[in-house]
Amino acid sequence: MAVLDEIEQLIPDLRRYAYALMRDREAGDDLVQDCLERAVAKHGARRPDAPLRAWVFRILINRHRDLMRRAPRAGHLVPVDSLSVEPARPAAQDAHMALRETEAAIARLPEDQRRALLLVALEGATFEEAAAALEIPKGTLMSRLARARAALRTMTGRDGPKAPAPHRADHPRDLTQ
Amino acid sequence: MTPDRLTEDELIAYFEDALPPADRARVAARLEHDPEAQAQLADWARQNADIRALYADQADTPVPDRLRAALHRAPPPRRFWPQQVAAMLAVLGVGLAGGWTTHAALQPPPEATRLAQAAISAHDTYVVEVVHPVEVASDQRDHMDTWMSNRMGTQMRPPDLAAAGFTLMGGRILPTAGDRPAGLYMYENADGQRITLYVSHQPSGNSAFQFAGDGTTQSLYWTDDGLGYALVGAMPRDRLKTVAKQAYDQLL
Repeated sequence: MAVLDEIEQLIPDLRRYAYALMRDREAGDDLVQDCLERAVAKHGARRPDAPLRAWVFRILINRHRDLMRRAPRAGHLVPVDSLSVEPARPAAQDAHMALRETEAAIARLPEDQRRALLLVALEGATFEEAAAALEIPKGTLMSRLARARAALRTMTGRDGPKAPAPHRADHPRDLTQ
Repeated sequence: MTPDRLTEDELIAYFEDALPPADRARVAARLEHDPEAQAQLADWARQNADIRALYADQADTPVPDRLRAALHRAPPPRRFWPQQVAAMLAVLGVGLAGGWTTHAALQPPPEATRLAQAAISAHDTYVVEVVHPVEVASDQRDHMDTWMSNRMGTQMRPPDLAAAGFTLMGGRILPTAGDRPAGLYMYENADGQRITLYVSHQPSGNSAFQFAGDGTTQSLYWTDDGLGYALVGAMPRDRLKTVAKQAYDQLL
């Protein structure tokens, strides 16, 4: 059936998004499988004019919300100590550390901000799509994204005139300070 | 001409390409004179680059067979999930906690409040279930009604909530702190959103709709003719109330 083929095309995107949400391959795939089974069972009831992609992501997001309600805190907090960096390292390693910092910071965002940010930044969802998938008005989406981006900036130590680092890319600051 | 700073909302909308062309041109013009906003845009672009660098390759790994199979197979695979064990333990925990409360609390919560709490616990336990969200599925409707009526000791028929977009998935029997079990029906809409209707014996008389909630999960409950009902879902109260009214009208 054509709709199922279209949904199949979305699997790689769904897996990427689910992996980023769960930070675990198996758990991410479990979430995608749950989403797909639900989509198969429900696609007959879908309004034909509703965009498929936003609809499938909405199912996945609903499952993720349910999951997080059950196990809200597991693996959510990353000790700040683990984010500290040594001063002198090769550039490649610095870049790697900066990525790890970003990863840890994303993990510490509130769930609703994380879902919204990953949807637009990672999945390239349009404003329309993201608002539909998250079932929120566009104004809410806008402020949610602003909060997420500001928090990410603070947590990765890239905000602030207080300590202007001339080579920010090369020397991510120690978050424990 | 006031050189207003660009607001965060304008910047976000600009950055996400969500502005009509005229507004977009206007923001772009003002942006030229706002180095701070430019720095913020650059930082957001960098955040996006980081996020993509972290996860982009996750879309390139081969899709496991079980995911493709999920699309082309009618019944979901029967697997024993760790989640199920957690759910069983949670039910046990609810039972124990309920028993403890009855003994230890000097002022136990009113019956109806306990009903809502039990209903929310049951909801949170079972809506996340993948393999066994219900004990008896709605395709065995006659069997389910007979079985649940026998176990509950009263006529049990789940309301039809199709007018609100929710279809019945099935039901299950749950232990309670009292001597008679409770029943739980689960419904789902086209978006995969699930709500539950919890039914248990309530000696106290009839009551109007009351709300209870623990943040996102809301419950609307009422008692009627010896039975207590609690409709539970993660949705705004108004919507929950609309669904509850449909249930109420049919259960009269």
